[in-house]
Amino acid sequence: MRHEDETRKDDTGIGRRQFFRTLGGGTAAAAAAVAAVPLTPTEAQAYDPGNTETRSRYRETDHVKAFYRTNGYETLKK
Amino acid sequence: MARMKFLCDADRCIECNACVTACKNEHEVPWGINRRRVITLNDGKPGERSVSMACMHCTDAPCAAVCPVNCFYTTADAVVLHSKDLCIGCGYCFYACPFGAPQYPRVGNFGSRGKMDKCTYCSGGPEVDLSVAEYEKYGSNRLAEGKLPLCAEMCSTKSLLAGDGEMIAQIYKERVIKRGYGSGAWGWKTAYRETIAI
Repeated sequence: MRHEDETRKDDTGIGRRQFFRTLGGGTAAAAAAVAAVPLTPTEAQAYDPGNTETRSRYRETDHVKAFYRTNGYETLKK
Repeated sequence: MARMKFLCDADRCIECNACVTACKNEHEVPWGINRRRVITLNDGKPGERSVSMACMHCTDAPCAAVCPVNCFYTTADAVVLHSKDLCIGCGYCFYACPFGAPQYPRVGNFGSRGKMDKCTYCSGGPEVDLSVAEYEKYGSNRLAEGKLPLCAEMCSTKSLLAGDGEMIAQIYKERVIKRGYGSGAWGWKTAYRETIAI
């Protein structure tokens, strides 16, 4: 029964297995043609906003010093 | 070069959520999301602990590692920022982050959830400093103004520390030496008697 299903031909006269073999051969030929074309590699680039935007913005202003002073104990208050 | 860090002194946090409110107001964060939140462990039990959490600005940030469009970058202050122009709202960073920092303004999958939003350490984004575009996308840029994140600056119990990592580590060490830590801290035995030890 199973053997009959695999080899059964439809109205076009092409069996299921034969159909896929034909299709596979065609695909392999197409893949070989694509591989023959030289590819230019494109490397993924990380987002780089530039030196201006990644520069340091932290400054030890009087405002920041006041924060450290009020959060610390006596040694930082000197 | 100073490295910006957050440090929450859990012995001082009283879960007032002022840091959450201050952050939301300062940056006009969209409805439904918070860049910072307070987590309470053993809530309602003797010895409960609260910790204020936001983006920890990791050195090797997992959010940046999984982002399919590479929209993350780290500034010279060691602050992890991202570009909302590049973000596609895929949500990968949310799954990668161990702190749950990335948030999305809408519910849905992929682009429908909107651009990711997270703590910027009050240092804006890739737009020009203190510009309107920067404020609309990322909120205020207090670091460029010579200030520190507002959540830490307005902490009423001085639990949340922010700034140069070495400086706040020194402040915290000094606190621990002076007052102790956990059940050894000042006032602990008054509050919980001697039966609790953490």
